[in-house]
Amino acid sequence: MSESIGKITVPGRKQAIQSYKARGGKLAAVFPIHYPRALLRSFDILPVEVWGPPGIDMGLGDAHLQAYTCSIVRAGLSFLLQGGLDPVDMIVVPHACDSLQGLGSILLDFVKPSMPVLPFVLPRDSGEPARRFLAAEISHVRDELCSLTGKNPTPEEFDAAISGEEDADGALAELLSRTAHLPVGDRELYRVVRSREYLPAEEFVKAARGLLALEIEEMRPGIPLVLSGIVPEPWEIFDAIATAGGRVAGDDLCGSGRRLYPRGRGDEPLTRLVDGLLSGPPDSTLGSAVDVRLAHLLDLVGRHEARGIVFYSMKFCEPEKFYLPQLQKGLEQEGVRSVVIESDLDRSMPDQALTRIEAFLESVT
Amino acid sequence: MNLLGSLNYHLKVNLLGKAYLRFDRMRLSWRMRRAGFWKEEQLAPPLFTSPRLKELISSHYLKGRYANGRGPVAWVTSGGPVEFLTALGYYVLYPENHGAVCGIRRSAEGLCIKAESHGFSRDICSYARTDFGAMLGGKTPVGRLPRPDLLLCCSNICQTVLLWYRVLAHHFKVPLILVETPFLYREALPHQVDYVKRQLDAGVELAEKVAGRSLAPSSLDRVVRRSKEASMLWAEIMSCGKQRPSPITAFDEFIHMAPIVEMRGEQFTVDYYRALLAELKGRIERGVGALASEKKRILWDNLPIWYRMKRLSRLLAGRGVAMVASTYTNAWGELAEMMDSSRPLESAARVYLHPILNRGTGHKLETIKNMAKEYQADGIILHSDRSCKPYSVGQMDQREKLAGEMGLPALLLEADHNDPRVYSDEQAENRLEAFMEVLGV
Repeated sequence: MSESIGKITVPGRKQAIQSYKARGGKLAAVFPIHYPRALLRSFDILPVEVWGPPGIDMGLGDAHLQAYTCSIVRAGLSFLLQGGLDPVDMIVVPHACDSLQGLGSILLDFVKPSMPVLPFVLPRDSGEPARRFLAAEISHVRDELCSLTGKNPTPEEFDAAISGEEDADGALAELLSRTAHLPVGDRELYRVVRSREYLPAEEFVKAARGLLALEIEEMRPGIPLVLSGIVPEPWEIFDAIATAGGRVAGDDLCGSGRRLYPRGRGDEPLTRLVDGLLSGPPDSTLGSAVDVRLAHLLDLVGRHEARGIVFYSMKFCEPEKFYLPQLQKGLEQEGVRSVVIESDLDRSMPDQALTRIEAFLESVT
Repeated sequence: MNLLGSLNYHLKVNLLGKAYLRFDRMRLSWRMRRAGFWKEEQLAPPLFTSPRLKELISSHYLKGRYANGRGPVAWVTSGGPVEFLTALGYYVLYPENHGAVCGIRRSAEGLCIKAESHGFSRDICSYARTDFGAMLGGKTPVGRLPRPDLLLCCSNICQTVLLWYRVLAHHFKVPLILVETPFLYREALPHQVDYVKRQLDAGVELAEKVAGRSLAPSSLDRVVRRSKEASMLWAEIMSCGKQRPSPITAFDEFIHMAPIVEMRGEQFTVDYYRALLAELKGRIERGVGALASEKKRILWDNLPIWYRMKRLSRLLAGRGVAMVASTYTNAWGELAEMMDSSRPLESAARVYLHPILNRGTGHKLETIKNMAKEYQADGIILHSDRSCKPYSVGQMDQREKLAGEMGLPALLLEADHNDPRVYSDEQAENRLEAFMEVLGV
């Protein structure tokens, strides 16, 4: 189903999948977070990201994973075992954390789904050894895709796919930088932002440009905030912020703001792709230094004139939770207030969290 | 190094400290040989090398207490490639080992609470919380930890350690060497080995800069040789558990593994393990088991539950169940053959890429199956450790396979290695009782 937002229409996940399949393309279910989208697209494979989905019965996944495993992973596995990923031709599991590492491993060794499973490792450094490694890792995945699909994209096709993804990342960056002047609420805005998780790059660009074309001169009402976390699930966070009189101005979410890769530098397509992937914003799942993350958050606050930061923290998510005390302390020293709201995919937002957001917004006004 | 620091170190460590620890060892040894010392009926008396182990560990932390000012100090993850740091003269501290000491001495809970009071979530690893609690001024049973000049984080045990070491780097404002070991879903690929090797090269460079001296190849060669010898001795010690009755249990190994984790590459570690092996061989010759009566033999998977070791060992021993091996202690011996002092960094890249925790869940299952055969195990306890996801994820399938394909009774025991607040004695012991009934004891 597609959804109308203002005067633009954003295709839904199912619709995007069906139309891509219908024109002969293949699909890859991709778990979070960082991966070479352009590589997949150069093989005419559409990456469709699996961030749960929320609200799913996790019983089947819980036969393989302990309850203290992250709910994105448990829900994703349950979804697979319920047949939710049947339309896809392969599964890609980036190595974002211990839970996803475990998921990739049990898929290969025990669950053994009918479609191939490709693990992918993104280094947590950006120096020369990491660049060499990432280039070799992407080449290795490329070889696997060649044997799976029987295709061998030319350098020109690879280059074009990289350019397409860079355009989409650019459009997303523009969208996130101009949210203050878009005549939609956060829920609607994030329908477009999160369509980057499944739309082909060229269609996402259309959707983003369509929304940007609606830009108005006056500023959206609401106290500007930065939203930080893995994924804005449950979506009630947007309602809670709006109800309390706020709006999301800066984005430090894994699925969107932390994936604003700049255009890669280099003559060769592979070098460009590597450079782009390793030059993105700091991210907990990349093990970025605390100082670097802190500086980035302060920059977001400054650029968007935000009054505070809401950390939307997912239960059992170690990458996020390790950083929070030092980030909050560093922000406080710079006069920036923050609040941690704990959430989980399989829970609706408790009233207590709504009250805390209200209290937080009152304290920053 | 400064003169005052060095003098202080020699006085408090080399003169007073060592003399006291030697005296304490002799006192303990003497006590152990007195009639009536041992009152446990189901467990054999402790190994006679135990006082020497206590001396080694106490000496290690005593050296740490006065290390600042005497020489460079590095904090290192437990699976980290430590040899080049030892060869450069670093005093090396392992926060995980310190965490285990705190767990055994029941001070981990207080340190976790201290960390939580500073905002660290109870959902993060309890070793890390124990370490943060100590970092934030909490009381530790070892007195005082030295401030690091350098951090070395190797991701071959989990991804969590990088997050943990980022927190330490921010707190102490010191450089961090990251040795990232790509997880091996299958066999190692050349680009994965090459990546680790290049990071080691860069790590050596940074460690030299911080230490203010160059790495002498002869020193590295000597340390790697000792490391390999100690690891091989450790593997041989664990192999003693294949004997019936087993002269050692995994509970003993959890304690006696401390030197191989935190004092690899030292001659005294090699000497200590030679002595321990000799004692175990003596037990084998005399037919002495670690239990008074060994009826069944089991394996352990994952980290121990540090704060319940004694209680669990008594519970099992009371029913004649000998825990003869564990995948955890095995990890520090199984790669010894791969170490090569003639190619120290190249071989280190391979060695440190291959620990069980950096390999797939299927590989771990095969390791358990092989161990079950070699150690003639009648069952296995899989500790589902809330604080260690890389070790625990996969256990539910492993249990099914072990029970289904091998007919090996397998118990999944929910706990946490260092935080007693998520452990229930009653619940755990009920499950263990039921498990022992399945074993027929």
